[in-house]
Parts: sequence; structure tokens; C-alpha cells
Amino acid sequence: MDEKRLNKKTNIILCVVSLIVLLMLLFPLFWTLVTSFKTEKEIFMIPPTWYPHVLNTKSYAAQIETGDFNMFKSFFNSFMISIGAMLIAVLLAVPASYAIAKYRFAGRKAMLLGFLVTQMLPVSVLLTPMFIMFRNMNMYNTWGAAILADATIGIPFSVLILKNYFASIPQALEEAAYIDGCTRWGAFVRILIPVAKPGVIVCAIFSFLYAWGDLAYGMTFILDQEKRPITAGIFNFMGQYGTKWSYLTAFAIVAIIPVTLIFIFMQKYIISGMTSGAVKG
Amino acid sequence: MKKLKDFFRYDNIGLLFILPAFIYMMVFVGYPIISNIILSFQNVSVRNLVNGQKEFIGLENYVTIFGDEVFRKAMINTLVFTVSCLIFQFLAGFLLALLFNKNFTFSKPVRGLTMIPWMMPMTVTALMFKFMFSTDVGIINYILKSAGLIKENIEWLTTPGTAMVAVVVANIWIGIPFNTILISTGLTTIPQELYESASVDGANGWQKLTKITLPLLRPTIESVLVLGFIYTFKVYDLVYVMTEGGPVNSTHLLSTYSYKLSFDLFQYSKGSSVANVLFLILLLVGMIYLKITMQGEDD
Repeated sequence: MDEKRLNKKTNIILCVVSLIVLLMLLFPLFWTLVTSFKTEKEIFMIPPTWYPHVLNTKSYAAQIETGDFNMFKSFFNSFMISIGAMLIAVLLAVPASYAIAKYRFAGRKAMLLGFLVTQMLPVSVLLTPMFIMFRNMNMYNTWGAAILADATIGIPFSVLILKNYFASIPQALEEAAYIDGCTRWGAFVRILIPVAKPGVIVCAIFSFLYAWGDLAYGMTFILDQEKRPITAGIFNFMGQYGTKWSYLTAFAIVAIIPVTLIFIFMQKYIISGMTSGAVKG
Repeated sequence: MKKLKDFFRYDNIGLLFILPAFIYMMVFVGYPIISNIILSFQNVSVRNLVNGQKEFIGLENYVTIFGDEVFRKAMINTLVFTVSCLIFQFLAGFLLALLFNKNFTFSKPVRGLTMIPWMMPMTVTALMFKFMFSTDVGIINYILKSAGLIKENIEWLTTPGTAMVAVVVANIWIGIPFNTILISTGLTTIPQELYESASVDGANGWQKLTKITLPLLRPTIESVLVLGFIYTFKVYDLVYVMTEGGPVNSTHLLSTYSYKLSFDLFQYSKGSSVANVLFLILLLVGMIYLKITMQGEDD
């Protein structure tokens, strides 16, 4: 960060420039939101209206009333799947990252390499084998299949992020706990995890977001529309109602509610996750 | 028993902590990778996917796909898609990072808000851009027309060529925040004194950029580009939702083509082969990333 003070004029110019850039970048979201409150007729008007002249909330209401493509149902599916994947990822990644950060055990480097390679894996490599596997496990067409698959994205990411948090905790803190009679496990649970808590939150958020954004797994492993996540619901809906943009945009807005809430309340964790995770394994 | 206790006494106790995650990843990632390789040497279709005899046919699937015109097109498309996205999102990200590293009143909050596109589910991004690029209601055609740049509406998503432009634009939108934030973090590591002494020596802005910023930013730029390549090369949802690889395969990427082979045409073994080729390319490029990341990870 450039720490030197800017003069008043430069400051104002840069503020204005950055706001213009921001408006351009976020325009697609604004446009989607506005469209979701327009009537189908107004959407097709030329020149387009920049705000809904007739406020139309039917695109949202119709979703609750008709059972055909109930977006709140698929919202719920997505929510349960994402929470499930998040829990698995955090529960497994927290001890694993602690091990990588603090112990030089046999095979450590190979496992670390394994987690890194997983991040390069295209989803198409796993789809068919997982599909066969879930059928054999009788989990095909259940939330469980999507949960288990989505967690495989969150785990490596979380391990790589969290190991940096654990590595930065001074050894002396852990040793003090042992002197006070803590076991390894006790020190880990009572001392280290609380210190690494911001990192754990980052991992939870990202594991949730990865699962929330997933389309391939949810669409491939779950067949019934009423069990499918919201992304798959949107994709189906686009296939069937092609140009009914009032419904489609309303669907999109509902799908990004959790993302927006996470952004508003947990912004600092997101930025730290994006930077620490990517720059240094 | 005592031996076992001794084994876990010191560093190897770490194995107990990592084992659950390791086993999970072996079952749900390791095993599928191997099984996908085996699948690509067999002739599995919908008939013998779950039950039935699976025959080994050697490299036949690979020979077939490399002779397949759509596959070769998908290969070129993937490269074009990735390189175009990388260039533009990197440039945009770089400029934004330079902007946000100035210490003005809005720099922090606005930089935070520009991260939003990165968090969107790709399916939603695809929907938004499909809407904006649509022929008659699309705002992009309206803007271009009002600006006098085009006379007739462009059929973006149903014309080969322009469809690729549309998916590239959508993906750049996702990629900009990622590039901005990483480069921005990289910029903060450059000592401020360097710029000050350069000013004293009479260096202008351009000289400072090319002689101080770029050389010192090189490690960051390397990892941003390599990671960007990996993420972009395997993009699937965005393109699948926007175009499903069409029109006439003009936006098929290796990822979408692999999906289509497996789950639309039920030629699982061919789909697996395409996926493996994709993975192999990612691994080769990823070596650079692994080298950067594993430095200083000594046992």
C-alpha cells in the first residue's frame, strides 16, 4: 500500500475513477436484480428501462405457489448439501493441516503434493468413476452423493490454507500447554484451534461457497429435480423456459442471497482466503 | 505394541491427525482418478457401465478421440479461451491493483466490493451473461447500437466466433477480482523506499513501473498466471450453461466435450479419455506451480 498521503484533488479523482470502475464491474448484478422485478413486457421494451416502472414481484411469488420449479425448495437442497460438505471439509482439514504444519512425519511431502495436485483436477476426471461408485453405494440420487463429492473440493483448499495458520503459531504456546499437563489432542483442541479460528472460518466459508456454486456434481449425481441443488435447478429452468427472463433472473437472485450475506458479514475472511490460499500453497 | 508406540512417539503422531483426510481423499479422489484411467482403456458405454463385461481395448479410445474433429476443435478452443481470458483479466487486474494501491479514501471498501464477481456461482454468472448477450433483449446489443458501433443486433450466442467472445467476456468478469487481489497483495511487498529513491534520482512513472514494480512483482505474476491458467483451462459450468458447447461445437472446451461424451452420448470411456488428456495438460502446467509452492517445504 502506498502510504504517502495524496493531495485532495488526486484523492477525489481516484475516488470517482474507482466508483466508475465498480459500477461497471457490478453492472451485471444490478441489471439482473432490476430485471427480476420487471414485467415480461417491460423487459422487452426498447429503449430498456433502468428501473422497474411497474414493480412486479410475481416472478418470486410464482415460485412459491406453483410446485413445478420451486426455487425455494432447491435453495433448501443447496443449503443442506453445502452445509454437509462444509462440515466434512472442516472436520477433516483442521487436524490434517495441523499435522502438516507441525510434524515432519513419514510421507508428509507426498501428501502435501497430493493435496496440491487435487486442486488441478478437472471435475470431469472424477464424474464417471464417482457416478459408478455412488450407484454401487446406493447413494445415487441423494444429497449424500453431492455432499461427499463437494467436500473433495473444500478439503485440499482448507488444508493448504490452514497449514499456514497453524505454522504461524509459536511452538512455545504448544509447549506451555504440555507443561500444564495437556495431551497432544488436548493442546490441539483447547489451545491451537482457538488461535487458528480465523483460518477455520475462512475454510468453512470457502468450502460452503464451493459447494454452493457446484453444478456438475449436483446435476450428475442427483436425478430428481426436487432433490437437486439450486444451480442444477437454474440450468434445468433455462432449458425449459429459455427466454422467460423475469423468472430466470429472479431465480438467479435467490441463488446469490447466501453469497451476498457471506460477503456483507465476512468480507475480511474472503479476502484473506483468496490471498493466502493462492499465493503460497 | 511397544514398537507401534515408539513409531508414533515423535513426528509420526502427525499421521494420526492427517489420516482421516488422507483416507477420504484416497477413496473419493485417488480411487476415481485411477478408475478413470482404467475406464479410458476399456469400452464402457451405457450398456456395461454398472454391470456387464468391460473389455480392455488398449489405446483405442485415445486414437479415436485424437482423430475426432470435435475433440481437436475443443482442444484449440480451450487454448484460445484460456489465453484470451488470461491476457485480459491479467491486464485489468493489474490496472485495478495499481489503482487500489493508491491510498485514497475509497480504496479499501471499493477493492472489497470488486471481489463479488469471483464469489458468484458460475451458473448464475452464465445466466446473467446469457441474458445480457441475448439478441433482442440483450443490453449489450442495445449499448453497442446506441453508441453507433453496430447497425443490426448481433446474434452473439448463436453465431460461431461471437459465442466464443461472449463466454470469454463472462469468464474475464469472474477472473478480474482474483487477479486484482493477488497482484494487489504482491504490490504491498515492494518496499516504498525504492520508489522514493527512484523519484530522487528523477525516474518517471513509467520507469518506476518497468524498472521496479514489474521485476519485483515477478514471483507474484508467475503464480497468478499459472493459477489463472489452471482455473481457466478446466472451466466447465460457465460454458456449459451459456452455450452447451454450441453453436456447431464452436465453444466446446475439453471439459464440456468430455461431459457431453459421457453424460449426453453415454460414451463413458471416450469421455474419460478426453478428461484424462485435460488433466495431463493441467499437470504439466501445474508442475511450475508445484515447484514454486513446494520450495522451502523440506522434510
